[in-house]
Amino acid sequence: MSTAAAEHALGRTDAEGIAARARGLTKAYGSGETTVLALDSVDVDIARGRFTAVMGPSGSGKSTLMHCLAGLDTVSAGQVWLGDTEITGLKDRELTQLRRDRIGFMFQSFNLIPTLNAAENITLPMDIAGKKADEKWLNQVIDQLGLRDRLKHRPAQLSGGQQQRVACARALASRPELIFADEPTGNLDSRAGLEVLGFLRDAVDELGQTVVMVTHDPGAAAHADLVLFLGDGRIVDEMARPTAEAVLERMKRFDTIRGTVEGDGATGQGIVPDQGIALDKD
Amino acid sequence: MLKATLRSFLAHKGRLLLSALAVVLSVAFVAGSLIFSDTVTRTFDRLFASTSADVTVTPKEDLDSQIPSGAIATVPTSLVARIDKVDGVALARPDVAVENITVVDSENESVGPTTGAPTIAGDWYVTERSPVELTSGHAPRGPDEALLDADTADKKHVGIGDTLTVIAQPGSFKVKIVGIATFRTTNPGAALVFLDPAVARTKLLGKADVATSIQVDAAKGVSDEQLKQRVAAAIGSGTYELETADEQAETAAAQLGGFLDVIKYVMLGFAGIAVLVGVFLIVNTFSMLIAQRTRELGLLRALGADRRQVRRSVLLEATLLGLVGSTLGLAAGIGLAIGLIELMGLLGMNLKTAEMVIGWPTPVAAYVVGVGVTFVAAYLPARRAAGVSPMAALADAEIAGVGRPLRVRAVVGLIVGALGAAALVGCVTATETGSAASLLGLGVVLTLIATVIAGPLLVRPVIRVLGGFFPAVFGSIGRMSQRNALRNPRRTGATAAALMVGLALVGGMSVASASMSKSFDDQIDKTLGADFVVQNANFLPFPQEITEKVQDTEGAGLVVRQRFTPVAVRLPDGKRVETTAAGYESQLDEVARITYAEGDTAAALADGNIAMDAGFAKDHDVRLGSTIPVEFPAGQKTELKVAALTDQDAAEGFGTQGGLFFGLGTIEKYVPGGQDSALYVNAASGTSADTLRANLDKTLDPYPQVQVRDLADYKKLIHDQIAVLLYLVYALLGLAIVIAVLGVVNTLALSVVERTREIGLLRAIGLARRQLRRMIRLESVVIAVFGAVLGLALGLVWGVCVQQVLALQGMKALAIPWTTLVAVVVGSAVVGIVAALLPALRASRMNVLAAIAHE
Repeated sequence: MSTAAAEHALGRTDAEGIAARARGLTKAYGSGETTVLALDSVDVDIARGRFTAVMGPSGSGKSTLMHCLAGLDTVSAGQVWLGDTEITGLKDRELTQLRRDRIGFMFQSFNLIPTLNAAENITLPMDIAGKKADEKWLNQVIDQLGLRDRLKHRPAQLSGGQQQRVACARALASRPELIFADEPTGNLDSRAGLEVLGFLRDAVDELGQTVVMVTHDPGAAAHADLVLFLGDGRIVDEMARPTAEAVLERMKRFDTIRGTVEGDGATGQGIVPDQGIALDKD
Repeated sequence: MLKATLRSFLAHKGRLLLSALAVVLSVAFVAGSLIFSDTVTRTFDRLFASTSADVTVTPKEDLDSQIPSGAIATVPTSLVARIDKVDGVALARPDVAVENITVVDSENESVGPTTGAPTIAGDWYVTERSPVELTSGHAPRGPDEALLDADTADKKHVGIGDTLTVIAQPGSFKVKIVGIATFRTTNPGAALVFLDPAVARTKLLGKADVATSIQVDAAKGVSDEQLKQRVAAAIGSGTYELETADEQAETAAAQLGGFLDVIKYVMLGFAGIAVLVGVFLIVNTFSMLIAQRTRELGLLRALGADRRQVRRSVLLEATLLGLVGSTLGLAAGIGLAIGLIELMGLLGMNLKTAEMVIGWPTPVAAYVVGVGVTFVAAYLPARRAAGVSPMAALADAEIAGVGRPLRVRAVVGLIVGALGAAALVGCVTATETGSAASLLGLGVVLTLIATVIAGPLLVRPVIRVLGGFFPAVFGSIGRMSQRNALRNPRRTGATAAALMVGLALVGGMSVASASMSKSFDDQIDKTLGADFVVQNANFLPFPQEITEKVQDTEGAGLVVRQRFTPVAVRLPDGKRVETTAAGYESQLDEVARITYAEGDTAAALADGNIAMDAGFAKDHDVRLGSTIPVEFPAGQKTELKVAALTDQDAAEGFGTQGGLFFGLGTIEKYVPGGQDSALYVNAASGTSADTLRANLDKTLDPYPQVQVRDLADYKKLIHDQIAVLLYLVYALLGLAIVIAVLGVVNTLALSVVERTREIGLLRAIGLARRQLRRMIRLESVVIAVFGAVLGLALGLVWGVCVQQVLALQGMKALAIPWTTLVAVVVGSAVVGIVAALLPALRASRMNVLAAIAHE
């Protein structure tokens, strides 16, 4: 076992800037006997200016983690910060404002309001806030995403890839502290998917944004700077500078563990959880 | 399949709730009106049948008129002796009952009903058939004693020992109340005063030897019909009207029927509006349910259900809705009938709810209306459902009906609209009232249908304009709400149509009534030259005593009397026209300005002469100098020479077709015992109008049945009478709006469900709850205002056409009540806000995550 693991707890980062942080984050569904822990006392730091991917098998709690970090879902226990703001305990109105002003979202599908054209969709969060968009930044984002000649189109007139690019532009438009992307390539063909991932990468590298992406596609995760692996509501591993193959290998071990119900004996760069991983979660 | 249908019905019961409410409302009004009128009819049939004498002899009523002459038709009491001699007569007696009476208390307040029901004074004669019995005090004896009915005594706080003044045609007299008579049967709402029989004849009729009817009872073994024939043979049937108890009950019921019919038609009008507006609501609900269930229906089709089964399944669901709605509606109808009966009780008509009649046609009508309406309304959506392809099960749920072209609607709407417009143009250019009115009716119906059909086509252009300022004022929230309203033009169109129908009616009626008011104003300004008019609110005649008192009032200069009488004229073109004619005193020119085409006032009012409207004369080939036979009531006949033709606007208002008038002397000669209907009073020189008014008010204080009016008061009286019509329309509108609101709520609620994911997304990217609510509210407002604008535009066209038809009757002024119209538009925006309350609340309460994940 790596000694670093003792000092450097999983999911925590040494980086100076922390965009979002969670301590003891627990999310339980149901009560009493039937309680299911979606997140089990998770500690995590999201580094500023980095592209972080969250991976894990179905039911591992990766979407729940994202929802809790983004202020979309309430937590059962623990604390969550966005920058220096503790968001656990905020009222709905404050959370809404926070999402509007400080967070960008991309979902797997149904990202755009069908009645608004691309340009209107992109500036929607700022319009809602009654704020003026930063024209220079907006133009940069639009050009970067190659949407210049699509601005007047309604979502129905755009391809799936174009729609996700518009969603990406919207997430970037208000220059948020953090962009959450929930399976952004899940509904796209591989070419369009690659394109979108390229844009997210560029957003981090060239525009200095912070992106957290939930995915179950190792190929997609390989575009990130850091991959966090979730299993049964805990962060069980992390991988810096990932490659698709390495991620795939790591993911296979979830299946192995699941198959053999073995608690330890895992090797490699990751750390194997010392508690058994339940089988019946999905 | 049946199981699937039932499941689906139960699963959607929440969404069907509002549709069911529309069915309940229409059925309730149908059932309520039927139960109420059945109950009242039964009650009064019983009352009249049990209180009528075997045979009643009354003077023959040959001419009927809206404005009575004031003369009381009588039979001589000498008939009693002749009838008594007829074989089979057990008893004959003279009866007195006079309706147009005013009774005032010591403070000169009328004790009569305020509801328009009459005050009846009669003789106290007890038989086992009397509707009333003496419950306290004693029977009236001598000229100064009277009985009062218990309900009136109670309501007006009159007790035994109090003194009342009876203002009768021969003169006022004071009576002391010595007893209280209580109804043994249902009190129809009138106030009753009973006098000693001999006193009643002299004081109410002016002569001791006349009565208003003779009541004849048959001896044992003689049927009413036999008795009637025998009496008729003895006294002659030409001069008198004879009726058996049954016939009498029928006549009385028919007279009451007029009043009942009004209630019945008003209620059916409500039911009609409820049905009409409800149809839109049901069509919309089913369309939306089917749109939402496209995948489910596609799956059914993929699993092998054929089109007919799918259609039948939807129609069965509609029928179930109709059955549930009808049943609840029937129950609500019974409640409504009870409410009406109680209301009648407050107005003095004491019906008993325990005696409520629910005949078999009531439930039949309820179910036919309820199930029929739902079935018909669901038919089109059901056909559309049957058209869902099995592929729909596999495709991503696309909201059906959004993209389908509206070409068919455009074509049909255009054709029907063109026909309607043609009918309206025809009505405007028509020169005869009858054909103009029928063209108007046709045009109104066709243009309404055309607007309903073409409504969805108008959604885009109109809402683009109406909501045009939304993005500028409300930013992207405004933009989204405007575009949401445009999203499904069919749905927006159908939702707004419900509101449109009601508001089109209001728009049309308000233009028509404003035009009528203005026409009458112009007319009054142009023709009325008197300082004051003395008359009562409903143009009924009043006793001579009042005329004399007015003439004797200090400061009163010229007083010109006006009387009315029913007449029948035989015209040169062979037509016999029954109408009302007026009689004036000769100084008419001093108090009125009449424009003559030929002749003048002096000629018109001279003995043996008559004047009429020039247009009427032309229509019937009457020329100046023609001699026409004129029939008066009670068989009086003469021939009068046409000596003047008038050229007045609105000469034919208030049922006075032909604008006939002559000298007061002519009326006095042929209609003896008539009463004045109006007095036109000018101030004497040296007396100011204000002084005269004060004096007249003082003179008329003991006579609450008449009022003094100057020009402005007189106009207000006319306005008030026109307003009564408007109130009814407003009540109808109120109901239409209630249902239309349900429709808007329905549409919004279903739209919110459809757009769950969109709402989730909006909330996720930072739309506050308050902003979401505003977005839905704005959509609701724009839909409501769209309906209002469409309805008022249509109503405006109708109103102008109605005015054109009225112009043929002389009401030539056109007035458009802009303030009312603007208020209606503002009101419709409020309606939109109210309708959005619940759907908006529901949308804002949605869980963001669940909404995003919503399928």
